[in-house]
Amino acid sequence: MSGKAPLDYQLNTSFGNKRPTLSKVLIDPILVFSLLTLLVFGLFVLFSASGQLTSMVFRQSIYIVIGLLLMFIISRLDQSVYKSFLMHFFWIGLILLIWVLLFPAEGYKTDRWINLGFISFQPSEVLRLLLPLAAASYLTRNQRRPSVKDWCIVLSAILVSSFLIYKQPDLGTSLIVLASGCIPVFLAGFPLLTLFILIALILISSPFLWANLTPYMQQRVITLFNPESDLLGAGWNISQSKTAIGSGGFMGKGYLDGTQSQLDFIPESHSDFIFSVIGEEFGFLGIILLFLVYGIILYRVFKIAFNSSTEFSRLTVSSIGFVFLIYILINVSMTVGTLPVVGVPLPLISQGGTSVLIHLVAFGFVLSMKRRQTW
Amino acid sequence: MSEFLNLDRESKAQKQLQKRSVFLFLLVSVFGIVTLFQLVKLTILDSTLYTTLSDENRIIRVPIYPSRGVIKLSNDEIVTENIVSQALTMLPAKTQDMEKTLRELRADLLIDDKQLLALKERIINKPSSYERVVIVENLSPEQIAKFSVEKDKWPNLSIEARLMRFNLLGPLFSHVLGYVGQINLEEIEDSKDFVYPLSFLTGKTGVEKFYEEDMRGGVGYKTIEVDVNGKEIRELNRVVPNKGRDVYLTLDKELQKLARKELTGRKGAVVALNPNTGFIKALVSSPDFNPNILNKTESGDLETIFNDLDSPLFNRAISGNYPPASTIKPFIGLLGLKEGEIDWNTTIEDKGFFQLNEGGRRYRGWKEDGHGKVNLSKSIIVSSDVFFYQLAVQLTVDRIAAFLKQFGFGLKTGVDLYAEAEGILPDRKWKLGAIGESWFVGDTLNMGIGQGFISCTPLQLAVAISSIATRGKIYKPKVVAKIGEEYIEKELIFEISSIKQTDWAKLESSMVSVISDWRGTAYNLAEIAENKIAGKTGTAQIKSLTDEELTVREEYEDVRQEESDRDHALFVGYGPIPEPELTVVVIVENGESGSAIAAPIAQKLIDNYLSRNN
Repeated sequence: MSGKAPLDYQLNTSFGNKRPTLSKVLIDPILVFSLLTLLVFGLFVLFSASGQLTSMVFRQSIYIVIGLLLMFIISRLDQSVYKSFLMHFFWIGLILLIWVLLFPAEGYKTDRWINLGFISFQPSEVLRLLLPLAAASYLTRNQRRPSVKDWCIVLSAILVSSFLIYKQPDLGTSLIVLASGCIPVFLAGFPLLTLFILIALILISSPFLWANLTPYMQQRVITLFNPESDLLGAGWNISQSKTAIGSGGFMGKGYLDGTQSQLDFIPESHSDFIFSVIGEEFGFLGIILLFLVYGIILYRVFKIAFNSSTEFSRLTVSSIGFVFLIYILINVSMTVGTLPVVGVPLPLISQGGTSVLIHLVAFGFVLSMKRRQTW
Repeated sequence: MSEFLNLDRESKAQKQLQKRSVFLFLLVSVFGIVTLFQLVKLTILDSTLYTTLSDENRIIRVPIYPSRGVIKLSNDEIVTENIVSQALTMLPAKTQDMEKTLRELRADLLIDDKQLLALKERIINKPSSYERVVIVENLSPEQIAKFSVEKDKWPNLSIEARLMRFNLLGPLFSHVLGYVGQINLEEIEDSKDFVYPLSFLTGKTGVEKFYEEDMRGGVGYKTIEVDVNGKEIRELNRVVPNKGRDVYLTLDKELQKLARKELTGRKGAVVALNPNTGFIKALVSSPDFNPNILNKTESGDLETIFNDLDSPLFNRAISGNYPPASTIKPFIGLLGLKEGEIDWNTTIEDKGFFQLNEGGRRYRGWKEDGHGKVNLSKSIIVSSDVFFYQLAVQLTVDRIAAFLKQFGFGLKTGVDLYAEAEGILPDRKWKLGAIGESWFVGDTLNMGIGQGFISCTPLQLAVAISSIATRGKIYKPKVVAKIGEEYIEKELIFEISSIKQTDWAKLESSMVSVISDWRGTAYNLAEIAENKIAGKTGTAQIKSLTDEELTVREEYEDVRQEESDRDHALFVGYGPIPEPELTVVVIVENGESGSAIAAPIAQKLIDNYLSRNN
């Protein structure tokens, strides 16, 4: 098999010979239209959640357009083009992370940002995509099963990255990065026995980890279990968010008619708590429709993953799918009060340029790895 | 071979990936199901609860208070009105860092510490309140400007128009009207049927306090939608409050003005009332104060009012206790007649002193040589002490105290003002309790001339004297004649029926002679009097004169060196005769002479009143 490209590599290069059809341009029209639906819906919700700030919606639209362009460009690429140097991109991400810790950008509360003047972005967001890609790429760089050394190298990279993000401090993204790194490791066949031993070790050491959390993070966890204890302080977010979603009922209060959202009772309603706005204004029905769209996207992603031809692409695409799912789950869970408020945005809807950009780039990779069925 | 192995590994890896994916998916789904159930619980099962919570968040009921009733004279002239001022208010429930806000306000808007301290006490005691609390009253234009520039800094603060109390006539009616101030916490707790907001202005003294319930009206409310900072977005519903009622005074502005003018620069009190109704026409306590300073509608130093040694806030007319002195004599005389101890022809020899038994202690009269032969009428005209010493001893303290009580001595008159004193009507029991000694005959002697333990307020004296004008009818004194559309009726509280009409008439003519008879103690009035009045002078000793070696006059010369030891000057009177319309009581502290100082004021007041009412 050495020296000879797999079959679908060749099939991919056949693009452009025949007249372009919708499925050829978009590669996976259902996935792309679902994404577009979500993005447009997201902009409408953002308009409502931001207190009807057109400037915020406009800014977000620019990121979406850039993101869609990047997605389109990346989806044209063949995985052989980027597979080999994805590993090296990881190093760039790591350097940027260290950069923000050493040279924090002015005017931000936490050291998460790099300000390039025309644009500012969070390297942690970049890394949480690069990490699974690099891990998948490294673990499948040859046809052999990964060795103990391989596992150790990948796990170290994951731990260092998430530790650096935890130091920013950004507990939410740090956990997301940890998960997005571990998922390809698990899917690539990490030995189960070792995994159980590691999990046991983590459980045993968890009291020590708790002691090492900053009071701000401890407070967030504590208020999860008793939000009513401090209604004007830390519990305010959760209780107002639950009130918003609950008062939305089945049908919702109607677009722009959510009193909790429009009267500013929901804090961070444009970013971390945008799901509360959806719940309040569109109700349970709206939430279910939103989940349906998310479901279609995930279904298409996993379909692509399981049908794709290389181990690298299967690993990468399913990892991206799982990270996307975890994002949704953590965000929704924290707004309804079943998880601590950890500051994870709702993918493709929450305000935040870097976040939406990276998600779209990830879908670009997903699309590029779809097995082209031209025969 | 190797290719086959690789393909085998490849398909094994693919199967492993799918298996592990399914496992991971199931793991994630466990959390997903918990969250999904929570979603169902929130939006469907508990939706009503959260709808209520959401409404409670944004919909609040704000009480609306009607504007306070104004105070008018009977001719509809307004004496106390409401004026608009700008106040800085705070919403404590939306204030996260109170200390910081207060610190900033102190620095940026120049609010003094005393105001802030009082405010904190209020807020701490009612922490979860959605009520706006007034932080600073009467903002200056500079403060408003400064606030407006920086108001984004304090979303929980706002400037609100507020109705304040303003007395158009300044200090003229100060002791009648009283003043208003922010309600204190005890007053809030004590109030049962009216929920006072923290910054409500309530009457603290005078008519403002007594007629508080009538003037404040009833609470209405509006339902409004607010944003997270408590800012009103729109009004949803409104229940209009019941308007406060206006209060009409019985007082006569011109009479009040004259009385105040006459007392200017002196300490003392004037009470003038209609004996036939009890309606008060003038009530002055001097010195007085400007209620607008206390109402905070005029600038002025509160400290000087509160710390003034002459106590301008003290209402001498209803709270001051003074010995009635010789003004008690008509009542003692009446009792003597009633009890048959004397008749109008009973005469004694006034040698200038009285002895209980031969060679005993000499109780001196105010006139060294005495008045010669005196009967009751002459005793009143010349104010013979010796005659009343004799009579008092015959009557005994028990009968005197019981009789004086019928005229209201020792009892509150029940006037519609707060802080009325009841004076002292001493008897054996009282002395044993208050002094711890038994009663001596000497005490009875003193009581017979209105000295010693007995004391009364100027208003009590006015009520008692009026009963001579009305032949025994005692009306409750009142300062308010009308509330809203409802007229206040005169109120007969007691009627003395044991006195013969002829005795009333003869007593009155004796009191007329006090002014008209050349021997009368107030004969000096005869020159200025435009109307025939009945009266009685009094000179109340502050220090008892007991040195038998000296004459009263000599001893007093020594005493009067200290101004505060000088005698109080009293005059009680009513006119015109025979149909009295006004009773006047004048007390000038340390005025020394009832006839020279107090009596002319009373005469002028009666003349002034009658000149305008006939």
